[in-house]
Amino acid sequence: MTVSLSLSDITAHYGSTKVLEDLNLHVGEGELVSLLGASGCGKTTTLRLVAGFLEPTTGTIKLGDRDLTRLPAHARNIGLVFQTYALFPHLTVRENVAFGLKQRGIGGAERTRRADAMIERVGLSAFADRHPANLSGGQRQRVALARALVIEPPLLMFDEPLSNLDAKLRVDMRVEIRRLQQANGTTALYVTHDQEEAFSISDRVAIMNAGQIMQLDTPEVLYSRPANAFVADFVGFENMIPMTAVSEAGDAVRAEMAGGTSIELPKSHFTVPSRDFILAARPEGLLVSAAGDGIPTTLGLRTYLGRAYQYQCETPAGEVKANGPLAQPFDSGANAVLIPQPEQCCLLSA
Amino acid sequence: MRQKTHPLLIAFAALTFAFLIGPLVIIIGTSLSETSYLTFPPEGLSLKWYENIFEISAFRRTMVTSFILAVGGTALSMAIGIPAAYAMARYRVQLPAFLGNIYVLPILIPEIVLGFSLMKSVAIGADFPIMAALFVGHALLVLPYCVRVVGASLNAFDFSIEEAAVSLGCPRWKAFFLVVLPNVRAGIIAGFILAFITSLNDVSISIFLTGPGVSTLPIQLLAHMEQFFDPTIAAVSVLLMFVTVGVMAIVERTLGLTFLTK
Amino acid sequence: MPRLRAWALSAPALLLVFLFLGLPVASTLATTFGDPAGPFSQYAAFFESRFRMTVLWRTMEVALITTAVSLVVGFLTAWVVAKAPPRAKSLLIIAAVFPLLTGVVVRSFAWLIILGKEGILNDTLLALGIIETPLQMLYTEFSVIIAMIYLFVPLMILTLVGVLEGIPEDLTDAAASLGATPAAAFRQVVLPMAVPGLIVGSVLVFTGSFTSYATPQLLGGERQMMMGTFLYQRAMVTFDWVGASTIAAIMVVVTLTTVLVMSKMARRLNPVAG
Repeated sequence: MTVSLSLSDITAHYGSTKVLEDLNLHVGEGELVSLLGASGCGKTTTLRLVAGFLEPTTGTIKLGDRDLTRLPAHARNIGLVFQTYALFPHLTVRENVAFGLKQRGIGGAERTRRADAMIERVGLSAFADRHPANLSGGQRQRVALARALVIEPPLLMFDEPLSNLDAKLRVDMRVEIRRLQQANGTTALYVTHDQEEAFSISDRVAIMNAGQIMQLDTPEVLYSRPANAFVADFVGFENMIPMTAVSEAGDAVRAEMAGGTSIELPKSHFTVPSRDFILAARPEGLLVSAAGDGIPTTLGLRTYLGRAYQYQCETPAGEVKANGPLAQPFDSGANAVLIPQPEQCCLLSA
Repeated sequence: MRQKTHPLLIAFAALTFAFLIGPLVIIIGTSLSETSYLTFPPEGLSLKWYENIFEISAFRRTMVTSFILAVGGTALSMAIGIPAAYAMARYRVQLPAFLGNIYVLPILIPEIVLGFSLMKSVAIGADFPIMAALFVGHALLVLPYCVRVVGASLNAFDFSIEEAAVSLGCPRWKAFFLVVLPNVRAGIIAGFILAFITSLNDVSISIFLTGPGVSTLPIQLLAHMEQFFDPTIAAVSVLLMFVTVGVMAIVERTLGLTFLTK
Repeated sequence: MPRLRAWALSAPALLLVFLFLGLPVASTLATTFGDPAGPFSQYAAFFESRFRMTVLWRTMEVALITTAVSLVVGFLTAWVVAKAPPRAKSLLIIAAVFPLLTGVVVRSFAWLIILGKEGILNDTLLALGIIETPLQMLYTEFSVIIAMIYLFVPLMILTLVGVLEGIPEDLTDAAASLGATPAAAFRQVVLPMAVPGLIVGSVLVFTGSFTSYATPQLLGGERQMMMGTFLYQRAMVTFDWVGASTIAAIMVVVTLTTVLVMSKMARRLNPVAG
C-alpha cells in the first residue's frame, strides 16, 4: 500500500502573517523526503498542514488520489512521530501503541497481539507494561515510532524526532528509522534542522527558507551543486566571492574580483553561469599556497582542525576562511594566495 | 486555523461569565440610586451614598484600620516569610521538606477555627490588646501567600548568581539585598498584593478579634447590614471593587494574570 | 554552619506559626477532651444531638452540592477559556479573577439584593407574571448554595484552566493523528490527565464551603445554621466555648481528612507518576 504525497500551490497564514507561499512538493511512493531549514522556515508548518492540525489558505494536499485538504486530522490515517514524542503519560507502553488500533475499532485480543508484535519489533517487549515516565529518551522514541507504525499508515511523518536524544543515540535511531521505513516501503516526510541527519536518511531533501523550498534534490546534488546562494551557504560554502568574467583565453575564463585582481578558472572544472557570478567555496575549497594563480591574501589567525589548518584571510574581496596543509604551516601576517579547488567550489549566478 | 470549540459550550461559558459579573454590576447600579432602599436598575442617579460612607464615622475608622492591618500585617508576614522562603529554597538539603507544609497551615486549618482559637488563647488568654491580636492574626493568615509566592520566585532563582556576588567580594547578607531580592521582586510584589487583598477581605478571623471601638471594614459592613439595608453598603462595595481593580493591575504588571491559574 | 543559618532564617516564621496557630489550635482541641464526664463525652453529645447533626449534615450537603456544581460549571467554562484565542483568554481570566479577589462580604451582599423578598429576582418574576406573591428565597438552603457556587466557581475555573493548559497540545494532536475523534481524545486523553487537577479543585471548594462563615451568616441566617455560623454562635452568643471547640475540632478533622485522603488519591491517579 504505497502511495505518493503531493502538495500543490499551498499558501498558509498564521493570522495575517504568511508562513508558506505557493509551496509545491511531491513525495514519491516509498520515498523519504526531508524538509530541512532553520526554525521559522515553514518546515513544521508544512508537516502540520499535512497532518491536519492546520488548514492551508489555498492549495490542495493529496495522498494517492485521496484529497486530504479539508479532512479532519483524525480521519487522515497518517503516522506521526512528534519531537516531544507526545506519549500518553497515563497509558502504558502497550496501551500507547494500541491507542490507534483502539480508535480503529480493533478488538481486545487482536489489538494486544498487534501492539505486542510491534513492541517486539522495536525491542521493547520487556517494557510493555511500563509508563512513559519510567523509560529513557531512546526508549520513548521507540514507543513513539511503534505507535505511529502499528496503524500501518500509508504516510509516515517525523517532526524533529531525534532532537531530544544524545548524539550517539541520534545516529543509531536514524538508522533504525530508515530501516523500518524502507522495510515497510512507507512514504515518509521528515522534518529536521540537522543537515547531517537529513542528508544521511533521505532520498531527497528540500531546503526551506521563509516559507519556500529553495532547492529539492538528492543529498549528493545539494552537497556538490547548490542551485543558489542560500543553499550554498546552508551546505557549507561559507565563502562567497563576487566575480565578473572579463575574458576567455583558450580553455580558461579570466575572472576579476573586487580590488581589480583576477584569477583564471579552467573551463574543464568550472562553468561560468553568467557574466557576473559568485564563487562559492568551502574553506577547504580555497587552498592556502605560497605561490600560484590565486587570490592574493594576507593570512590572519590560524586554527588547527586536525586534518588541516584554517586561516582567517584578508583578501581584496573581504575576509574569507581558507584551509592550508598541515605540512606547511604559515604564520600570521604572511602573504599567500588562495587557489580555488574545483570539487569544493561552485559558481552561482549573481 | 485550529479546531473550533463547540458553540453550545461557548454559550454555556458566556452564561457562566454573566453569572459571575452580573451581581457585581447590580451592586454598582444600586449604589448609584437616589432611593434609600436597594433597587436595580437604579432610580435616579446620585453619588450621595458615596458621600454617606464618609459621613458615617464607623466606616471612616474601619477603613483606616483595615488598611493599616492589611499593610502592616502583610509587611510583618513578609519580613519573616521571605527569610523562611529563602531558607527553603537555598538550603534544600539542610532543612526537612515538611517545613513547607508548616507555613501553609494557616490556610489548611479552617480560618474560623483559627479565629476562634486566637480569640480564646491570644486575645483573652494572653490578654493581647485588640489591635495587637488583629495584627498577629492577619500576619498569620497571609503567611502562606508570602512564603509560597516568594518561594516560587526563589525556586526559579539561580543561586550561583548569589555565589558570583560573594566571589566578587560582596558579603553574604549584602548579596541577599543586592542580588537575590531584586531578582525575586516580581514574586514579592505579587505575594504582597495577594496577601494584602486577603487580609483586607478577611471576615472569619477578624470577626472574633474585633472588639469595642476597633473593627475592620468587612466586619463593619456586616454590622451595618444587620441594621440598615441601604445603598451605602453598595457604595462601600464599589469602593472595594476599585481596590480589586488596582490590585489586579499590579499583579498584571508584575507577574501577568496567568500567574493566578498556576 | 549552613544548617544553623537555615534554621535561624526559618525561626521567626516557625515561631509565629507555633505560638499563634499551633498552641491556640491545640488548646482548642484539648478543651474538647477535658469534660469530667469522659474525654469523648463532648463528641458523644454532639453526635447524639439531633440539632447539631442537622447542622453538620446540612453543611456537608451544601458543601457537596457546591463542589459538584462548581466542578461541572468550572470544568466546562475552563475548557472554553483554555481553548480561547490569547486576547479573549486574558479577558476571560480577568473576568474570573475579579470576583475572586473581591471580598466575600461584597459578593454575598449581591445575592441579598438579588434574592430578597423585594429583590431583583422576585421583582422580575412578579413583573413577568410568573409568580403572584414574592418567593421566600433568602435564608433557605437554596440561597446559601447559590451564593456559595458564586463564590467558588471562579476558583474552580482558574484552577482548571491551569490544569488544562498543562496538558500539552501535542497529546491531543497525537491522539487525532492516531484516529481519535475530538470526543474520543477528550475521553481517553484529556479527562484522565485532568483528574488530579479536578480533585485539587474539588478539595479547595469543598473545604472552603464547608468552613465558610460570612456567606451562610448573610444568606442562611439562624434558620440555615452551618458549621461556621454555628461555631460563631456557640462561641460569641451563648459563650459555650467547649461546645464551640467541639465544632471546631470536627471542622478540623473533616477538612484535614478530606485534604489528606484526596491528595493521596490525586497522587495515585496522577498519570505522570505512573
